[in-house]
Amino acid sequence: MLARTKRGLWRGLTALLVLVLCVSLLLGNILEANAGTIDTALGTISSGFVSEHDANNPLYDKFTPPEEFLNADGTGNSHALIEAAIDLGRREAAEGSVLLKNNGALPLGSGSNVTLFGIRSHSNLLGSSFGVKAFGGYISLEQALSKSKTDFANTIAWTVGSRGAANSPTVEGWSGDEFDFDGAGFNLNQTMIDIYDKLGETYVHYENEPAAEVYNPGEPSISEIEGVNSGFKSSFAQYGDAAIVVIARPSCEQLDYLPGGVADGLDFESGEPFSLTKNERDIIALAKECSDKVIVLVSSSASVEIGSLKDDPDVDAILWIGAPGCYGMLGVADILSGKVSPSGGLFDIFTARNMSAPAMQNMGKMYYANTEGTIVRTGGVLGFNPGAYAIEAEGIYVGYRYYETRYYDCVAGTGGADSPAGAYASSGNWNYDDEVTYGFGFGLSYTTFSYEMQGEPKFEIGANDNGSPSAFATFSVKVTNTGSAAGKTPVQIYGQAPYTQGGVEKSAIQLLNFEKTDVLAPGESQTVDVKVDLQYIASYDESYNNGEGTYIMDPGDYYFAVGNGAHDALNAIMAAQGMDASKMVGEGNKAQAYRKNITEGFLSKTMFSVSKTGYAIKNQLPYSDWNYYQPGEVTYLTRSDWAGTFPKTYDNMTLTNPELIDALNGKIYELQTGDDTSAIKWGVDSGIKLHEMYGVPYDDPKWDQLLDQLTLEEAMYIFSFGGPSIPGADSIGAIETYMTENAGNGIAVNLNASKDPDAPWAIPSSDPNGNWHPEVFANAPMGASTFNPELMYELGQFEGIESLFTGINILWGPGLNTHRHAYNGRNGEYYSEDPVLSGVAAMEFAIGALEYGLVAAPKHFAFNDQESERGGVSPWMTEQRAREVELRAYQIAFEATKYDTADYDAGMRGLMTSFSKIGAIECTSSYGLMTEILANEWGFIGYAVTDIYDDVDLWTAVLNSGTTCFDTRGQGNFYTSTTLENCFLFANQMYSDPLNAHLIDGDANLQLKLKDAVHKNIFAWSESHLMNRYNATTHFGSRMTWWRATYMGLEIGSGVLAAACAVMYVLSSAKKKEEKVS
Amino acid sequence: MKKLKIGGYLCALAAILGLVGTILTIVSGMVSVDNPLANTGMIAAAGFVGAALCVLAIFAPSRWGNFDLVGSASILGAIALYCYTFGAAVGQRVMLVAGLFSFNAANEAGWSVFYVSVGAWACLLLGCVLLVASGFMKSVKEA
Repeated sequence: MLARTKRGLWRGLTALLVLVLCVSLLLGNILEANAGTIDTALGTISSGFVSEHDANNPLYDKFTPPEEFLNADGTGNSHALIEAAIDLGRREAAEGSVLLKNNGALPLGSGSNVTLFGIRSHSNLLGSSFGVKAFGGYISLEQALSKSKTDFANTIAWTVGSRGAANSPTVEGWSGDEFDFDGAGFNLNQTMIDIYDKLGETYVHYENEPAAEVYNPGEPSISEIEGVNSGFKSSFAQYGDAAIVVIARPSCEQLDYLPGGVADGLDFESGEPFSLTKNERDIIALAKECSDKVIVLVSSSASVEIGSLKDDPDVDAILWIGAPGCYGMLGVADILSGKVSPSGGLFDIFTARNMSAPAMQNMGKMYYANTEGTIVRTGGVLGFNPGAYAIEAEGIYVGYRYYETRYYDCVAGTGGADSPAGAYASSGNWNYDDEVTYGFGFGLSYTTFSYEMQGEPKFEIGANDNGSPSAFATFSVKVTNTGSAAGKTPVQIYGQAPYTQGGVEKSAIQLLNFEKTDVLAPGESQTVDVKVDLQYIASYDESYNNGEGTYIMDPGDYYFAVGNGAHDALNAIMAAQGMDASKMVGEGNKAQAYRKNITEGFLSKTMFSVSKTGYAIKNQLPYSDWNYYQPGEVTYLTRSDWAGTFPKTYDNMTLTNPELIDALNGKIYELQTGDDTSAIKWGVDSGIKLHEMYGVPYDDPKWDQLLDQLTLEEAMYIFSFGGPSIPGADSIGAIETYMTENAGNGIAVNLNASKDPDAPWAIPSSDPNGNWHPEVFANAPMGASTFNPELMYELGQFEGIESLFTGINILWGPGLNTHRHAYNGRNGEYYSEDPVLSGVAAMEFAIGALEYGLVAAPKHFAFNDQESERGGVSPWMTEQRAREVELRAYQIAFEATKYDTADYDAGMRGLMTSFSKIGAIECTSSYGLMTEILANEWGFIGYAVTDIYDDVDLWTAVLNSGTTCFDTRGQGNFYTSTTLENCFLFANQMYSDPLNAHLIDGDANLQLKLKDAVHKNIFAWSESHLMNRYNATTHFGSRMTWWRATYMGLEIGSGVLAAACAVMYVLSSAKKKEEKVS
Repeated sequence: MKKLKIGGYLCALAAILGLVGTILTIVSGMVSVDNPLANTGMIAAAGFVGAALCVLAIFAPSRWGNFDLVGSASILGAIALYCYTFGAAVGQRVMLVAGLFSFNAANEAGWSVFYVSVGAWACLLLGCVLLVASGFMKSVKEA
């Protein structure tokens, strides 16, 4: 009996331990397959570079952090790094916050007794719940206004979780350094702070929050405030120097606001999410009871409908503060206290009713009437809904281009501009003053400035060596501080091209470039030179040369103007044109404008028909226009007939054209199987290794030799798996590396989780500030609103430095899509509605980042115009619209002409494509977009990755287009755990066999495209600080981590014990047998 | 066939759970064409053989007595095979699940795959636990 019990015990224990062994084996497999991702999450390093480091084989000699961030022994100084981040975040908000109204209430003196109103004054909006998130310890508005030292340990930013995920702190805690700062020095009304603290239990808010399709700003009512403390008003007497109200509208990835999408019972002023609710209006009324100085802070990444506040004489000041990131409230405090005079300009036009934008007629969730049965391609690995689209019938009239052009035509009396069509805030006919609250680029200061063109602009018209046009105009603008406070101001140059009724559409005003003055003392003047690339005032004429299309410069009078925003500049032009001042909104100063009659002799009409690379520009995106497939079904807005062409809503469009249906189904490329590929070399060893390629120009023949060394299979791996873990290639000595990460407001890796722990400046896990997470900066519109190229560059530099400390050499950011309208939930990740402002911001960022070896890859190229059905949605538009609005931003950034030298063609070295299509074709698969425009016209050379798992079912078409790799987050351990054949991402191909190493054996075109793609990828690596880690001795090495030790320990322990128990079980079985026999 | 005791019943239940878990695993790879399960044949075979070994673990003690070597080996084999099926499926769904709980929450097809997969994993894991429990217990009534 006892023997049987023992046998049962041993057998049971064996079974238990076998289960533990099996589970630990499985755990090990899963952990190893996702090692890169796990390392990032846990701050471990499970594999990496092993190299000898001596005089003959140097390492870390190509890119290094500045001395100021290093300790005496060369290790990283985390304290100095965080201190610099605080300073930069502060300056960005101080220059980017936009003063919209001030009747003298601001600035407030130090020692002012102030009451804060609105729950967002207590629970600040700092970033997005998904996307541009503010991480870690932050400085709250209350702290910035009244304290002098950070309290990161108790002030950690939280975020709202996505569906299914809990709300959570962005970091687990903070036990690192705290930092001194000079705050505003105000005394705050603690009674109201306590009330909002209590109400926060009901109205839960976090520092990172999402947009919502049905929005509720979660503002408590007055009665709820009274419910917490009925006598709260008695505190007003002591803290009545000023009342500051905070109103917020968040932004995030994946969700849009929708027309009419508001929670019930909140009495939104216009029934729309960007208008104020009754509780928000009541809180402003309460502020008026508290003080005769009422200041409203607007925290948003889009236009908030604040027309009523502008017109309210009892609202003394309005300051837009964006989503200012972890330290931006210090900059806000600097403005409120007068330490800094505000100098920002609006990133978007602020309208009385956001629904009045013509784009709003066609946004959100629209689907083809006959998707089912017509579109057979599925929604892909990410489960998107096929058949979504948006007809962008507004044409080129996006943002201020619409409002200002219509205004101009109203004054000119042309095009029926003053008809009621599209009027939302106007009573009766469309009226600019009613429709627009604050114009694009507008911003006030504590002082005033005058702007005066200094003589003739300097025109430099010529040609480059390759025959491409070189046409610039440099405007010298004398800026004088005419007020009584020191301050700086943007110098914005706008332009107007001559428009003919019925001709090519032209905006009446468009930003051409900008600079910013130094801080000018009262009475001081500075002459600022602003260099304008004249190609950005050219218009794209799709019909030119019998429909071949190109850029044209119509001969005639061109006007240029400097102004405090687009409206001021346009008024200056209108004054110079002698238009009827009585019909104008605001005054125009013709001294701010300059007229240039451009003749064919001065600048030929087709000068810009050739790109800077010398490539002929012509229509490349015919499939972007719905009418290309089904003519006459869509009418685009034209200024020749505002009323007749104001967009209607194109819902439930029916697909009838077979070519259109094929394109939507991804039938773009036919794989060849019988080509002669013998001339294409693979696996030809020339003895060249990757470490030798640093600084080798892209067109150097050495690259061809290196590429010929790769095997076809290795090249397919590099194309298929574009990060974050990127495959190695033995033939060229390249090692699998975790190379890429998000985002635009910092690198998404903790300081102590560096992917490059061997760097001399690496910050160890023992560092008290080790869990500082560098995503701390403001949302993108704040950067744009600074109108300060130097600051934009500095932000890129700083993130480049962050990347050296975190070991990430390619950044998936910044965001560079256009604010098509305010309802785009992701506007916080993108700069602006204007392509020049966006493009310059991205270019400066990227060139600054590259200085420290960080390749910035802006996203999402292109046309990610909405988050609703972002996966595969078809934005339909004219090619003129595509080129003059969205693509222009990318063009500026990628060409980076400002930084070209005689020896070096500067440019961005990365991008991420869009989930969306362009018309009928996926952006990832559009040859016109990725090769003709991006590579051939703009000369882009670099890493062009898809968005995560996007279009993995169109592997051949994506390769053919010119995209250089797929974003395959989570995949790693290539050639063993993850292979071309077993990776689930590529198992379902629409028009070919599943991916395998022989898929393109018979397709010469794709093999050449593959070489090109791999060349561009590796070239981008070679320009980055990845090359710090390579020398002739570098090889791959596996490293022990705690999680690896844990699962291995479990495996060994459970295996040994299982074997022992099994032996005991067998022995006890044998003993029982013996007992039986005896 | 001797009368079953609790260990035998647990093995029977484990066999049923293994079968259901394996079928659900196969189904999870068919819910959406974009989320196929690689190596489905091997995964399914492991699950079905595991279930068969559970059945063997029920019958073997009738012939060779409780805690016999054949029955014991069957239990251990079934545990290993169930774990293989479970692990192979989980390994392929890690990124799907990570996406569903972050950037890809709107993936309805993905959620369908997730729910079916969770059902499968629960069955297989529970089957393993029951097999371990049965290891400690007699499977048949002996004279």
